[in-house]
Amino acid sequence: MALTHVRSVARPSTLGEAWNEKAARGEAARFFGGGIDVVLFTPPTVHTLIDLAGLDLRGVSQAGGGLEIGALTTMSDALHSPAVEAFANGFLCQVLRRVASPLQRNLGTLGGTIASAHPWSDVIPALLALDAELRIFSGESRSIRLEEFLADRAACCEAIIEAILLPMGAGERIATYQSFTRTAFDISLLNVACSAHVDQGVWRDVRVVVGGRPGLAARQTSVEVRLEGAKPADLDLAAVARDASEQVDVRDDIRASAAYRRTLVDTLLLRCLKVLGGGGNSE
Amino acid sequence: MTITLTINGIEKKIGIAPGATLLEVLRHEGYVGVKSGCGSGDCGACAVLLNGRAVNSCLTLAVRADGASITTVEGLADGRNLHPMQKAFLDTGAVQCGYCTPGMLMSALDLLSRIPNPSDEEIREAISGNLCRCTGYVKQVEAIRAGAKAMRSERHD
Repeated sequence: MALTHVRSVARPSTLGEAWNEKAARGEAARFFGGGIDVVLFTPPTVHTLIDLAGLDLRGVSQAGGGLEIGALTTMSDALHSPAVEAFANGFLCQVLRRVASPLQRNLGTLGGTIASAHPWSDVIPALLALDAELRIFSGESRSIRLEEFLADRAACCEAIIEAILLPMGAGERIATYQSFTRTAFDISLLNVACSAHVDQGVWRDVRVVVGGRPGLAARQTSVEVRLEGAKPADLDLAAVARDASEQVDVRDDIRASAAYRRTLVDTLLLRCLKVLGGGGNSE
Repeated sequence: MTITLTINGIEKKIGIAPGATLLEVLRHEGYVGVKSGCGSGDCGACAVLLNGRAVNSCLTLAVRADGASITTVEGLADGRNLHPMQKAFLDTGAVQCGYCTPGMLMSALDLLSRIPNPSDEEIREAISGNLCRCTGYVKQVEAIRAGAKAMRSERHD
C-alpha cells in the first residue's frame, strides 16, 4: 500500500548530502536502499524518504584477503557473486538462499537487512559468525564491528551503512547455519550460526550465535568459551548443546514459547557442532 | 513528483505520489496484468521484471524504479503470438484460475536469463515466492521446463 504519509523523497548524490538531509529532518526522515522494510514498516511519523541509490554503495570486491560488500548490494547479487561463493566455503551463499524468496532477494539489500536489525534475520547471525565489520558514515566514515553496531543501536541507528567488511581469515573459517521455520517461506523461529578455525584438530576463535530468541541475534560467549581450544572428538557435543539450551536467553512470544525455543537451541546447536566437528559445511 | 519508466519498451513520464508502490503505479497506468494480492511480498502475484530481475512490485517503491526498464505480462506476447513461456503454460495446463500466472511467468523468465536450462530444483526455487492455490505447482514446473526448451530452440533457429 502507498505510504500516504510520505510527502517527499530526497535523492542525495553524496554521503554528506544524505547525512545532512537526515540530520535536518531527524525522525521525520528515513533512509532507504531496497525499500522493502520501508514499505512494510515505516511509521506514520516519517514524512521524507532519503534514497541512497544515488550513492556508490553496490558491488563485491576483494580487499586484503577479506571481502567488501557494498551496503546496497542486493541479496541476489551477493548470492550470485563468485567472490562471495568462494568465501568461507560458500557459507554466506548457503544462508542467503534461505532468505525469503528470489523476488525479495532481488530487491532487498544486505545493508538494509542489517539496518532493519530484525530479530528473525538469517543474515545477521551469519555475519556475526564471520566476525563481520561495517563501514558506516556519520559525518565521516569509520569502521565498527557488527557486534558493536548492533549493541549500540541508539548511537548507530542514524548512521549510513556503506559496506559490510568480512575480515581476512574469516574466509578460512568452517561455518554452518541452522534455522527452524514453520513453513519454508516463514521467518525463523530460532536460528544458530557457528564458525571456528580448525588448527590441527582443535577449535580456535569459536563463534556461536543464536538469533530469533526472540531477541536480536547475539553471540553466546559462555558456549564459545567451553568450545575454545577443544578437540571435537573429546567433547560430548550433545551435552554441550543441552547445557547451552539452559543458558541461552530465550523468551516467549506470540510465535513460540521459551521452552520450545530451548529445545530448538539444543537441536540446532548440536547439528551445527557436528558439522564443525566434521570439518565440512552444511545448511 | 515525476519518474520515468520504460514499460514494455515504451518510455513514459509518470506523476506519482512520493510513497506510491510500483504495483499501484503500474495498475493505475493500465497494466492490470500485474495482480494485487497480499501486498506484503508473500504471494508473488504482483511480480514484474525490474531491469530484468523479478521483484515484488508491491514491495517496490515507485521512486526506486525511476529510470528503470519494467516488463509486465502485457509485454510478453508479440502481437497475437504468445511468448513461448506463455504458450507452455497454456499447453501444459499450468493456468487454472490464472491469478498467479503473470507473476509465475516473471519468475520463470528471470530464472532463464541466468540459467537457460534449469533443473527442476532450480525451477522450484525460482518460483518459491509465487503462491498458487489451484495447481499444486507440478504443472508450473512442467511448463517452465517446456518453455525453457522452446526458448532455447528459438535461439538456435
